Amino acid sequence: MFPIRIVRQFLAPTTTVRAHCDLPCGVYDPEQARIEAESCYRIVEKYAANEDVAYRTRAIAIKEERAELVKHHLDVLWHDYFKPEHLEKVPNLHDLFWQANKQVSKVKASTDLADARKLLELIDDVDAAWKATGGLEKTRVNGRPS
Amino acid sequence: MLPAIEPGDWLVVNPRVASWPRPGTVVVFREPISDALAIKRVSAGPGERVRFADGYLTLAADEAWLVADASEAATGAAGFGAPIDSARFGPVSLDRLVGRVLFRYGPLRRFGRIMSRRGATE
Repeated sequence: MFPIRIVRQFLAPTTTVRAHCDLPCGVYDPEQARIEAESCYRIVEKYAANEDVAYRTRAIAIKEERAELVKHHLDVLWHDYFKPEHLEKVPNLHDLFWQANKQVSKVKASTDLADARKLLELIDDVDAAWKATGGLEKTRVNGRPS
Repeated sequence: MLPAIEPGDWLVVNPRVASWPRPGTVVVFREPISDALAIKRVSAGPGERVRFADGYLTLAADEAWLVADASEAATGAAGFGAPIDSARFGPVSLDRLVGRVLFRYGPLRRFGRIMSRRGATE
């Protein structure tokens, strides 16, 4: 007589498939995108002030990297924080995110400070949308010393 | 994929599939974003139109629209976020299809066919 355990082992599947959902932490803040965008802004400033080729090459590479993070943080806000019902309060939401993401691409390719400044302004608009939909009260953990 | 499939279910999958099975069928596929093996239900097949972002999207000749059985409200109530399905990653092309789920052989008390279901989550 086979022990049931061996039968079970023999029959058990060897591959696992998932039907997963997101497990969101529920913490969202445009500040994350803003900080990375500020890095881009400062890098453009430093780039203009330095003639050294090696320094400038590094500056460009780091700006690309930071800009990619801006995109990531904007996308997380767009896909995960904002919900269809928020469109009532912020009717231009999709256009705003589209503009902001387009601007990130522009900042990647540009060393013009005005482009980096424009990105900061667009992120501030996203911040206003986040606040208008109660993001500040709903998504951050309270209790930080002020 | 509750209630059709529960975590820990043992499933028999037919990997000999040359085209997307008809809508309502449960399939195993490689997820476009993560490349992980995932399981969802075919909601629409090649050439069909699906609702997407306030409009419609027509699926290409090799694409299907795969959705979870649970709604966002149901997964939200269970403490999870939205299901990760075509609403997130878009249409899935045929080269990502791994197989069609035929039946469940474990646990024994739930032995049986995985039924096809149409229009459950549209």
